[in-house]
Amino acid sequence: MTKKPKAASVKSKSKINAAERMLNLLALLSVRSQPLTLKQIRAELLNQYSEDGDAARAQFERDKSDLRNLGIPIDMITLGGAQAGETAYRVNRNNYELTDMGFTDDELQALQIAAATVRLGAQEGEQALWKLGAERVNPKLGPRASIGFADPHLGTILHAIGKRAPLTFLYKGETRSVDTYGMLARKGFWYLVGFDHLRKAQRVFRVDRIESSVSVGKAKSYDMPKNVDIVKSVPTERQMMAAGDYEHSTAQVRVHASLARIGARDFGAAAAVREEADGAVVFEIPCSNGYAFRLWLFAMMDKAEVVGPPDVRELVVRWLDEIAERA
Amino acid sequence: MAKKTVKKPAKKTIKAAVKKTAKKTAKKAVKTSAKKPAKQAARPVRATKRRGPRSASERVAGLLVLLPWLIKRKRVRLSDVAKQFRMSEEELIADLQMAAVCGVPPYTPDALIDVFIDEGWVVAEIPTFFSRPLQLTSAEMYAVVAMVRAAQKLPGAPSRSVLATAVAKLARLAPEATDAPMHIDLPDEPHLEELRSAESESAELRIEYFNPARSEVAQRTIRVVRIFSEHGHWYVMADDDKSGAIRNFRVDRIESLVRTGKIYNQADVASRLDDDAERGWFGDNLELVSLRVRGDAAWIAEAYPTVSQSSNKDGSIDVSLRITSEHWLARLLLRGGRNVEVLSPEKYVSLAARTARAIRAKYN
Repeated sequence: MTKKPKAASVKSKSKINAAERMLNLLALLSVRSQPLTLKQIRAELLNQYSEDGDAARAQFERDKSDLRNLGIPIDMITLGGAQAGETAYRVNRNNYELTDMGFTDDELQALQIAAATVRLGAQEGEQALWKLGAERVNPKLGPRASIGFADPHLGTILHAIGKRAPLTFLYKGETRSVDTYGMLARKGFWYLVGFDHLRKAQRVFRVDRIESSVSVGKAKSYDMPKNVDIVKSVPTERQMMAAGDYEHSTAQVRVHASLARIGARDFGAAAAVREEADGAVVFEIPCSNGYAFRLWLFAMMDKAEVVGPPDVRELVVRWLDEIAERA
Repeated sequence: MAKKTVKKPAKKTIKAAVKKTAKKTAKKAVKTSAKKPAKQAARPVRATKRRGPRSASERVAGLLVLLPWLIKRKRVRLSDVAKQFRMSEEELIADLQMAAVCGVPPYTPDALIDVFIDEGWVVAEIPTFFSRPLQLTSAEMYAVVAMVRAAQKLPGAPSRSVLATAVAKLARLAPEATDAPMHIDLPDEPHLEELRSAESESAELRIEYFNPARSEVAQRTIRVVRIFSEHGHWYVMADDDKSGAIRNFRVDRIESLVRTGKIYNQADVASRLDDDAERGWFGDNLELVSLRVRGDAAWIAEAYPTVSQSSNKDGSIDVSLRITSEHWLARLLLRGGRNVEVLSPEKYVSLAARTARAIRAKYN
C-alpha cells in the first residue's frame, strides 16, 4: 500500500460510488443461494453502505428500487427460527436474465438490417437489439422507414392489449375507458382502436393526444372481437374529407393543367369530370368535411378553383374573405 | 483495505489505457461537438437528447446491457464500442473502469467482473458476473415486433423468411407481443421500387417534380443518395442538377421518372452529403419565421420540423420554423386559415391577407 493512485479508489473508500455499490449488491444477491438480511449485506459489502443504520437502510431501499426498475426483481423472504421476523433478500437470475434465444447468425443479421432500415426514434429498439446480441449497423443502400415509437404510452398500451386489460385515460377533456382492440401506426402517428365505454361504440384515438397517464384495468376483462379490421377502422385523409355533415357531399374543382395529375393521384382518374381547352381538369371532390376539403383545396393556392355547386363556391369565398379581412 | 490491494492489477491496466486514449478522445470530442448543431438543425427528426451527468442507475443499466454484449464478442475496439452504444470514450472508460472493480467479496481478481482495456481494445473473455443479457422489457419486445413488421413491408427488405423464423423464436418468449394486433401502415409509393433499383445500380434519373414552394412542376435530374420516410411521407435525398446541391424530394410529388442512362459514382455523391445535407432540409436560403397557431391549425406544429415550440396560456402554440419560400409560407397560412398568424418577420404579417385577396379575385 505504498503509492495510492489518487481519485477514484481513495474516494470510494469513504464514499463509494452508488453505481458500483448497486453492481456489487446485485452480484452478491445473485451468487448467494441463501437469502441475505440487510445486516448480512452490510457486513459483506464492507464500508459500502453508510455506517448509520437509517442512512444505510435508505441507501439500500433506493438501490433495491432502482434495480427493480431495471427489470431485476428482488425477492423478499421473511425468516423464521433464530432470525424470526427479519426480512432477507434474494435475486433469482432466471427472473432477469434472458434465456438463450438460439438465433442463427442469419437471423441476427436480418434483425440488424431490420433495425437499421426502420427507425423507431426510441431507445427500446436499440436496447432490444443489444440484449439479443445484435448491433446497430448502417447499410449504405435501400429505403429506410421511420415509425415513431417514442410515445411513452405505447409500451403500456401494447402490454395492456396483450392482456386484454381495459385502458382509462383523459382524451379531449373527457375520461375515456376503452377496451382496446388494436393499434395502427400511420403517417407518423399511432392510433388506438377500441370500444369506448363512454360513447358505447367503437372509436379511434390518436395516442399522442392522450392528455393524462394511461391506467390499466384488470386483465381478461373483455374478448377480442374477431371481425374488427384495425387498418380500415382508422379513416384515411381521403375518407375524412368524405366524412362530415356539410350539406354538399362533393364539389367541382378546376385544377390547373400543371397540377392535374395531383388531383388524379389523390382521388383517382374517375374523379376527373372533364378536361378544358387550356389543359385544366375539373374534378368531383368529396367535401362533406369542410375543414379537410379546405386543406386540400388551398394546398394548390391559385391553381385550384371551386366551380360548383354555388354554395360551396360561396363558402370558399367566405373563407378567403375571412383571411383577407384580418390584416 | 484488503479490497484495494487486490484491485490494483486490474485497475492499472485500465488506468494506463485511459491515459493513452484520453488525449486522442478529448481532441475528437471537440471536433465532433463543433459540427453537431448544424446537423441537428438540418434533420427533421428529434435529435437524440444530449445526456447530462448520468445517474447511478443509468450507468448500471447501461453496463448490464453492455457487459453481456462484450462477452459474446470477447474483444472489440474501444472506439467501436463507444460508437455502438452512443457514448463518449471517456464515459465508456469510466464505466468499464468501475465495472472492473465490482464483484463479490473478497474482491479477488477471480471474484470481479472480468473486463479490461488493452491497447485500445475492450476485452471481456471470462464470464464471471453479468455475462447473460437482461430480459427484454415488454416495450422492447413490442419495439422489435414493430421494427420487423415495418421492415417486412420495405422493398428490398432482408429475407422475409429469416425474419419470420427470428420472430418465431421471440414468440416463445412473448407470444402476446409477436401476435399483437399492431399494424404498420407505410405510405404506398408506386415509385419506391424504381427509386430503390436506381439507387442500387447508381442510375441517374430524370424526374418531373411538383415543387410546392412555387406550385409548379419542373424537370430535374437527380442522383439518389438515400431513400427514407419521415412524418408519413417518403423522401428521396438526391444530388440535384438544378440547384447543384443535395436536396430532399418528396416521393409522392414525383410525377414521373426515367433513367437518363448515365451511371454515377455513389461514393462521390455520398461524400458531398455531409457538407450539403447539413445546409438544410429543403435547400439553401432558409428563412426563420415565427407563427402563432391554435385550434384547427395546431397541426402546423406537428407536421413540419420546427426550430422551437412553446405553448401559451390561452392554448395557442408559438412555433418557429424555416421556410423554403414566401410562396410556401403563403400556402401554409392559407391552409391554416384564421387560426394561424405570423409573429415575425414583419414583412409576412399581412401575407395571408394578400394571398387570400389574390385568390379571391378569381372568384369575382
